[in-house]
Amino acid sequence: MSMKQQYGAQKDSYHTQIMIKSTIILIVCIILTLICLIPILILLVNATHSHTELAENPSQFWFGSSLKENMNILLNKLPSDAGKAMTRVARQYSSVFNVGQGYLNSLIIAGFTTVLTVFFSAMTSYGLTVYDFKVKGPAYTFIIAVMMIPVQVSSAGFVRFMYSLGLINNFIPLIVPAVAAPAVIFFMKSYMKSSFPLEIVEAARIDGCGEFRTFVTIALPMMKPAMAVQAIFAFVANWNNYYTQNMILKNDKMMTVPIMVSKVLQFDKNVNYGVNYLCIMLSILPIVIVYFVLSKFIIAGVALGGVKE
Amino acid sequence: MSKLKRTLALLATLAVTSTAFVACGDKKEDSAPDSNNNSVADNNSVADDGNADDGAADDDAANDDAADDGAADDDAADDGDADAPAASGGDISLPDTDDVLTIVCWTDSDLSNMFDIYTPVQASEVKYQNCGGNGTEASTQYANYLNSGDDVDLFVAEAGWILNYINDDTMSAPLSDLGISTADYADAYQYTVEIGTDNNGVLKGASWQAAAGGWAYNADLAKEYLGVETEEDMQAKVSSWDNFKATAEELKTATDGAVTMTVSLGGLWQAYSTALNAAWVDGTAINTSIAADFTAMAKEYADNGYVDPSVEQWSTEWENYGKDGKTLGYFFSTWCLGEGAQLDTNCGTAGNWRIIQGPQEYFWGGSWLCVSPNCNTATEAANFIRTFTCNADTMEEYALYSGDFANNKVAMNKIIADGSNSNSSLGGQDQFAILADVAEGIKMSDSISKYDQNLKDTFLTTLKENIKEDTDAIVEKFKAQALADNTDLS
Amino acid sequence: MASAAQSRIKSISYAKYGYMFIAPFFLVYCFFQIWPLIYTFILSFKGNQSNNEAFVGLDNYTTILFGQGMAAGAEATRQEFLQALGNTFILWFGNFIPQILLSLLLAVWFTDAKVKLPGKGFFKIVMYMPNIITAASVAALYVSLFGDSEYYFVNSLIANMGGDPVKFVTDPTISKGMVMFIQTWLWFGNTMIMLMSGIMGISPSLFEAADIDGANSTQQFFTITLPLLQPIMVYTLVTSMIGGLQMFDLPYLYHNGSNFSKNLETVAVYIYYNFNKGTVEQANYGYAGAASIIIFAITAVLGSITFYMNRDKDEIAKKKQRKRAEKQQKAKMKQGGGLTI
Repeated sequence: MSMKQQYGAQKDSYHTQIMIKSTIILIVCIILTLICLIPILILLVNATHSHTELAENPSQFWFGSSLKENMNILLNKLPSDAGKAMTRVARQYSSVFNVGQGYLNSLIIAGFTTVLTVFFSAMTSYGLTVYDFKVKGPAYTFIIAVMMIPVQVSSAGFVRFMYSLGLINNFIPLIVPAVAAPAVIFFMKSYMKSSFPLEIVEAARIDGCGEFRTFVTIALPMMKPAMAVQAIFAFVANWNNYYTQNMILKNDKMMTVPIMVSKVLQFDKNVNYGVNYLCIMLSILPIVIVYFVLSKFIIAGVALGGVKE
Repeated sequence: MSKLKRTLALLATLAVTSTAFVACGDKKEDSAPDSNNNSVADNNSVADDGNADDGAADDDAANDDAADDGAADDDAADDGDADAPAASGGDISLPDTDDVLTIVCWTDSDLSNMFDIYTPVQASEVKYQNCGGNGTEASTQYANYLNSGDDVDLFVAEAGWILNYINDDTMSAPLSDLGISTADYADAYQYTVEIGTDNNGVLKGASWQAAAGGWAYNADLAKEYLGVETEEDMQAKVSSWDNFKATAEELKTATDGAVTMTVSLGGLWQAYSTALNAAWVDGTAINTSIAADFTAMAKEYADNGYVDPSVEQWSTEWENYGKDGKTLGYFFSTWCLGEGAQLDTNCGTAGNWRIIQGPQEYFWGGSWLCVSPNCNTATEAANFIRTFTCNADTMEEYALYSGDFANNKVAMNKIIADGSNSNSSLGGQDQFAILADVAEGIKMSDSISKYDQNLKDTFLTTLKENIKEDTDAIVEKFKAQALADNTDLS
Repeated sequence: MASAAQSRIKSISYAKYGYMFIAPFFLVYCFFQIWPLIYTFILSFKGNQSNNEAFVGLDNYTTILFGQGMAAGAEATRQEFLQALGNTFILWFGNFIPQILLSLLLAVWFTDAKVKLPGKGFFKIVMYMPNIITAASVAALYVSLFGDSEYYFVNSLIANMGGDPVKFVTDPTISKGMVMFIQTWLWFGNTMIMLMSGIMGISPSLFEAADIDGANSTQQFFTITLPLLQPIMVYTLVTSMIGGLQMFDLPYLYHNGSNFSKNLETVAVYIYYNFNKGTVEQANYGYAGAASIIIFAITAVLGSITFYMNRDKDEIAKKKQRKRAEKQQKAKMKQGGGLTI
């Protein structure tokens, strides 16, 4: 009886302990959530305020009514009576931050790189898994070794080389290198090792299926989960890539979203805070929307990356 | 054993690939200049096709190695122009194969004004490409842009770094290729022509503005704290650097330090450095005496609160000093004075502003239109340059429209004589009348170098960050950083 | 042994497909990575600015590392490079430590079956979110919010509360702190999820046994979770370190005015600044090249050390054994004709 009581008391205190712990954790998590979200929320709020409002009171906490006006400035669609000063602001912003063009360029680059990265990485890892050839071991060792090389170490030579090939202001130096993505190959190779039975290839050969066809029609569909995960990361990484794009792209017809944002940040006259915030907001909007739509999948993908290691 | 084998195999592959590529690369490096030459030649042949009556002399003029010929060609053009009316000009040797005139710029405010009043004569479209941001950033972006093979007909270069571009024949073509010669600039302020001329005496850049600077002040504050009623009285109070300092002290006492004399070190530097009348670079040696001179002055101003050294030029803080009535005045160049430019935005509603010459006649920046060797809209480009740098009528229109001091004495004197300009930000004052004498007196051609932008930026940043240290230490730090950035200097 | 011979022929004839499948990777990698790297290496032996065509031997290296070289500013160059190197490590360290601690704590909490936490999925999603946002935009956002004076969001709040403006952007120390904070903000969610999957990979029976033995959660953490998490922690360390060495967007864009902040100059910024200064005559390709090669060497050394330290001794012994067995088997097979595909 007394033992049971004691046990019950212990259990109670154990429960309270867990309750306390859970509450603390919940509070910490809420605080962290706020830290993650508040900058973005302020960004959204400020993008709806006019320059004058923000200049008078930079710390706005609720939405304003100037989103449309800011958008008109950014798109250089001001009414003709807007005044010369405002027209100057609009022209300056629209000459650097052409939002439609930026989305299109970023989409082209991110889209093509994603396709190339995923396809060729799958192909390379397939080659390294399925076939047996002399340099297979060294080749894989090489891929793992170069995985760690930062882009910066070759960028001086890269720019000079592209310059001499006449590939400045060209998407090629941004897209084609995506064929070689060592980290993605590493991931896919380990994925294939665990979930791609080699017997299938053997069976396909007996059926008279060509090697490349086997890869495309049989192996690729089986690697879909790994490819999807890597596709998302490749897309996000290339959409966000500022460093390489900024070195290669100079023409304003080829500007991508990150470069546009960096240029807006450099204006030293006719600065309009509301439009500044709007530009930043527009630059992150597509990727944030995509993220929230695919979030569960992305989180699972990140976790998968962790397991594979 | 197998590990060793593998490593060896790896090394061997690496070695093979790398040697293959090195070989490849060497060949490429060798062939690169060739292909460059070829493309220049191609351009010429296109030019010849376009203008059948062009002589072989023009061909040489466009060639990189024939700078002397180019100068000779200039002379020839001069002779021709002496008889003909200036507007008709010389022969255009660059092609007319495109119908879009593309101008690369790093700030669109001036071009925006020009485009408002410009009517194309031949091109179907006239547009600008904003390399964006600011002059410092632009000077790093331009080179790759101009060599990218993308359509560039004209580009805008700033005084701080124009020499890098006009002295490089792969970046810029002589204006004579558009039929424009030095003789077309008889009415221009001579320093703009001198700066636009490269080391071989070839005219490569034409400026639409004479970037004279003045001192704009808040008349309400001046009246309240200094008892100054008119511009003449104010000018008397700041007519020299000694007077400027004395007035700053007076203002400090009157306002208990709440109002500074001026805002940033950047503006102060621009005015003060003109007085030193010395180049940043002498041969290859950095002239630190000007840095030391200004540092001593800046430290005194900062210590006494005449200026806020922490404020970055052109920043939000800088802008708000004027708006909030926290400063008596700014050093403003001519391109700060138009509607929507700095004067307009900074003075806000806080006061009633006026411009005077200030303690020092000085210039600030200035932009030149240069011709890309790949210019393929030659007729339109030539017309554009003439409209804004030669033609007194259109330049008068431009000056009145933009508030910018146009680079044409005839036009400016006419405006001043007619009294046709009145600047609403300055209570209807005509800034041109104030700046005309300054523009006349500018002599900057001896003192600019291609390192100016970098040296000025480095100096002002170092000064701003280390203002508490003593003068020698600041100058030493500046020199060290400048040398690290520029291996050519000593 | 006809069938063995047949399969032997088969294995030989298929090898060429192996080369074909990996060829695109190697061609592209050599063209866009290896050759530029070699080119950078060549550039590191050439001069700077107007001297850019001349071969100068090791001058750039001695200048950058020892302050001894042809240029008058050799010593200043060394100082700038070393400062950039120092900044890189400070910034990396300053974001890695809080990031790994926070992520570890959260990962342990989130995987603790005993803790009842509502909305776990939501928290994970929100905490990972900063990681996908464009770094350039993040820099722009933080500069806009944390500007130096009361004309910006945070400082206007401080001013309203009667405080003096804090120089979040230009103060050498505070701005470094800000970059560390932003970097942590960007990456802790990612690290947390990686560590979570690592913890979930640990067999639950280990924790159950520890529970029965009466170990509390702290003890369990230090005796079970942490040691078993070591490989993934090392992986995080290595990736974060490589990421840290190439930290560029944030330090380069987090500034006021027209130039990047020298207080935040990392090696990546140093390299970029030196080769991207306008015309070839203005740029310092030699210094940029030498700095690149030095960073390459540092990466190689750090990477090898980490992997060397991390190798599991038992695992290696096992692997060796396995390899020996494999070799023997292979030898046997060779005698009988290869059977591998």
